[in-house]
Amino acid sequence: MPTTILEVTDLRKQYDDGFEAVKGLSFSVKKGEVFGILGPNGAGKTTTLEMIEGLRSITSGTIMLDGLDVRKKAYQVKERIGIQLQSSAFFPNLQLIELLRLFNDLYAESSDAMELLREVGLEDKAHAAAKELSGGQRQRFSIATTLVNKPIAIFLDEPTTGLDPQARRNLWDLVSQIQKKGTTVILTTHYMEEAQVLCDRVAIMDEGKIIALDTPDNLIKQLLGRGFKPHTKVQAATLEDVFIDLTGKELRD
Amino acid sequence: MKANLIWITVAVLVLARVGWRLTASRRQAAATKSRRRLIKNRGYAAFKGLTVASLKMYFRNRTAIFFSLFFPMVFITVFGLIFKNNSASFKIDMVNQSHTQLAVRFEQALKDVSAFKITDTTTDQAATDLDKGDADLTVTIPSGFGQIQNGVPVPAKVTAHYNEERPGNGQAAAQILQQITSSMNDQLTGAPRIVSVDASGVKTKNLTYIDFLLPGMIGLSIMQIGIFSVAFAFVSYKTTGMLRRLQATPIHPGMFLGAQGLTRLIMGMVQTLLLATIGILFFGFHLDPANWLAFGVLALIGSAVFQEIGFAIAGWAKNEDQAQPVAQLIQFPMMFLSGTFFPRDSFPHLLGVITGFLPLTYLADALRHVANDNASLWAVRGDLLGLLVWAVISGVIAVKVFSWE
Repeated sequence: MPTTILEVTDLRKQYDDGFEAVKGLSFSVKKGEVFGILGPNGAGKTTTLEMIEGLRSITSGTIMLDGLDVRKKAYQVKERIGIQLQSSAFFPNLQLIELLRLFNDLYAESSDAMELLREVGLEDKAHAAAKELSGGQRQRFSIATTLVNKPIAIFLDEPTTGLDPQARRNLWDLVSQIQKKGTTVILTTHYMEEAQVLCDRVAIMDEGKIIALDTPDNLIKQLLGRGFKPHTKVQAATLEDVFIDLTGKELRD
Repeated sequence: MKANLIWITVAVLVLARVGWRLTASRRQAAATKSRRRLIKNRGYAAFKGLTVASLKMYFRNRTAIFFSLFFPMVFITVFGLIFKNNSASFKIDMVNQSHTQLAVRFEQALKDVSAFKITDTTTDQAATDLDKGDADLTVTIPSGFGQIQNGVPVPAKVTAHYNEERPGNGQAAAQILQQITSSMNDQLTGAPRIVSVDASGVKTKNLTYIDFLLPGMIGLSIMQIGIFSVAFAFVSYKTTGMLRRLQATPIHPGMFLGAQGLTRLIMGMVQTLLLATIGILFFGFHLDPANWLAFGVLALIGSAVFQEIGFAIAGWAKNEDQAQPVAQLIQFPMMFLSGTFFPRDSFPHLLGVITGFLPLTYLADALRHVANDNASLWAVRGDLLGLLVWAVISGVIAVKVFSWE
């Protein structure tokens, strides 16, 4: 019986310069699902995410996360969630294991830092600095930092942007793994294939509004129901499948 | 001199190595213990974690260590060696062409003056030395000097030359020469002494240039750590998004500011301790143990004030390109105008008055006062008040212009 973990009602964001980035969003996310927010650049995905995370002020509307009003209880909300920002920078001159211990301290948690690194496949990089990591490794480490406080939900903002196909698929595996442990995942992405593979439900945003919200399969069915014919003949495999088949699945970090 | 330099280098390297080892093992022990015990106390755990992380980042940042620790030490060592044992003295080239008893006596009288460094030489060499500035004064005793005719000394003249382009030392030396000559005259003629001066040296602390320089250098490096290292580190945390990542955790961002501040206070104290120790051990810097506390308290207060200035810059600047020129603009004039390398007494009046209000002037003056004159904190309350005013001004600016992005 799925319960709602996030409830967004008529959310709006107007910046100081008058630009209205988010124009009345309403949606809810169920506990344990992977929820995707899709949309072109500038659609308002990141702004929406940051308002939910309590990082950006809310112009109007309400956001309830695990029964807490984000506007009033931002700190309590932050204790319950894990956040990966679009640009993931970490303090210089610290090893990964030290960074994770620092995050432990920030949450007054005592998660096993080594175990977290093992979960994201960075055990052998425990004593490396964040800047020595490849793009995929950095994203995986970034996800590890979101898990320190055993969150009920994690937010990933374009986690696979700029990664090669191997690293991207590896990250998909990681996200599925996290979902299997019962953590809700809310992510934004530009890649439709990614959304199709990972997300239980997706919201498609454009110009600050949600223009569609359903499971990927239903959205496709609805499109076909409207009489859509693809430009090219549907093939049983994609070019990426060819690429992965030829170059192998193992990571190239 | 060379031996000193080698010793200092060895001592610094050994200290650094030992210090690193010690802190590394202690940090590990402290970290595991604290994790077990203080899990319940979020604020404390977070603050401690951030402080330890900040210290680690600082110590592993070679550029920061170089500029805030190593560079001032090298500076002190170089200046200390240059100005060691350099009490005022005059270089005098002596050309003695006479061999009479009086000439020998006269030359001896000059050699007895402790401030004179006398070299016997030829007329040509003396002229060259004077020209190059290798001699302050040339003294020629002519061949007829001190000859006696019919039992009476023939009046004789000693000629002395100084370089008119650089008259300072030469003129002073010529004055002393004049005095010696006239007292010799008095002795020879037996003229009654109607007026005389009785001057004698009094034992003092014998302050040297290092006593002037070191408090200034300590103030300077405190400023360096406060303004430069705060502004740069903090702005880079802004631009790389690290601050934003911290905001995504449930700690109050002010806690990070506090931890960064504490780190720099610790660094400022370490720096003060190192520089003062080097000064005392190797260059005869005078700092009475009774004044250590006052000296340390001043260093701590100075650190806090300059950090506020640093945070005001960092809080305002959006990136390094904005922070750098402002930090330089504030720091650079103070380096030279706050009496760190040379006293402000030599400034033109107006400049002297204006520079008296600079924060580094207050700090350097107070530190110097405590070290050189055994002044208490109460005695330097004027400087402390000046620092306080700067603390308030920069605090208000910091709060007004601060932004996390």
